[in-house]
Amino acid sequence: MSDRVVLITGASGGVGRGIAHACGAAGWTVWIAARRRAEGEQVAAEVESAGGRGHFAECDAADADAVERVVAEIVTTSGRLDGVVLNATSGLSPKPVVFADVPLGELEDHVAVSLRGMHILALATYPHLRASKGSFVALTSEAGFEGKAKLSVYAAIKAAQRGIARSLAREWGPDGIRVNCVAPLAGTPAMDRAFAMDPEMASRILGRNPLGRMGDPATDVGPIVRFLLSDDSRYLTGNTLMADGGSCPIS
Amino acid sequence: MTEALADTVTRTLPETLMIASPLDALRGVAATLGAAFVAVPECPLAAGDHAGPGSVWSHTDALDEWRTETSEGPQTGAIVVAVWPTTNTAAPFTTMSPTDFAVRSEWPFVAWYAALGAAIERCADGGTIVAVIERPSPLDCAGWAPESGTADAVEAMIRSLARSEGPRGVRVNAVTTPSRLAPAQPIAPPPPLSSFPGSVDHEVSNAVSMLLGSGSAGVTGTVVHADCGRSWR
Repeated sequence: MSDRVVLITGASGGVGRGIAHACGAAGWTVWIAARRRAEGEQVAAEVESAGGRGHFAECDAADADAVERVVAEIVTTSGRLDGVVLNATSGLSPKPVVFADVPLGELEDHVAVSLRGMHILALATYPHLRASKGSFVALTSEAGFEGKAKLSVYAAIKAAQRGIARSLAREWGPDGIRVNCVAPLAGTPAMDRAFAMDPEMASRILGRNPLGRMGDPATDVGPIVRFLLSDDSRYLTGNTLMADGGSCPIS
Repeated sequence: MTEALADTVTRTLPETLMIASPLDALRGVAATLGAAFVAVPECPLAAGDHAGPGSVWSHTDALDEWRTETSEGPQTGAIVVAVWPTTNTAAPFTTMSPTDFAVRSEWPFVAWYAALGAAIERCADGGTIVAVIERPSPLDCAGWAPESGTADAVEAMIRSLARSEGPRGVRVNAVTTPSRLAPAQPIAPPPPLSSFPGSVDHEVSNAVSMLLGSGSAGVTGTVVHADCGRSWR
């Protein structure tokens, strides 16, 4: 378990950063792919401090050429690719919208990063995951299960990722590749922005959470994603694990 | 749907509007329900085109205009929405070109969003909206990744709308069908009902009628799988 090579997109902060820390603590080689160089390099350094090997690669998750270059660099440098985490999400995710009025062109950034980006990442990593019999994990959300009155685009995008992952698990299973999702609820800068835009959101979310707190990206969510990337979950595919402290009424 | 049932439906449902892709099967549902029909614009590209990633988005201005025009019509108490492609075939996700993905995933996503947005505006207080979604059953979803994604996305959309529109008494639900997506030889075990995958004019229309009717007055944000027992989630 100590020599895994994993790629995490959008890991320059938030949940992706927490996942990187958890994988680094296991001694893994962690590639941070993100647009923000300074923050991404900082996370790579934090992975080193945690006991792993951290690398940063500047990358826009919606740019197929950029993703292919990063994957090629990983395989050239680290020799293989064992796990992929699709974590990048649109910067518009926490922006409240009115369903009937949102300009449809605004949906493109969500789609480009999270849906087209999922296709791009799957295409680029499939041959390498097949070689390693690896694991693909997509970060979805409880919003994708239950919908959100003010975040309907985000909710639909996150649901779509789960549906695609379900099909991919069946398509890639014969190759020994597992595909799963994690629906986290964690305190992140993105969540802070969402709370700022909707002041009642925090009380709504925490009011129904039996554990009564937001998750920590590194110590609550990261180990669950790491589990899905590891051989400990080698018989688990096509699933969504709710890493939300029991917040979402799905069981 | 039998003639007797169709007669019952048209006598008991409020005046119905169907906002849907211009397919014969969906026009048939509208006819059965006695619904006025508004056609949703079809994808301007086809799978196999060489238009490149993001190409469908240059057409969203026209879709915006269509949504605005459609939204300005008179309100009604019952609306059925269905955004279906003309046709697709099962294909491994990693063999799809960027354009194929845009046609099968990106356009349906934005077209569903536009159609449901128009439906909200046209739905009177206390009314009901039913989305009819093509969904490959989980056991049979290999080769249908974009369609699985769209189905889950629309389920989330109707749950979002159930929340936002509930305060004005509007119910929003969905019916799913694998009628055009089911394999000739489903993975064992066989579906419980031999009528699998079901048809639009029978299983789907009946489920839609049920959700539009007053008998489901307390039901919102729910998805009914009219797939002869193939799905249980």
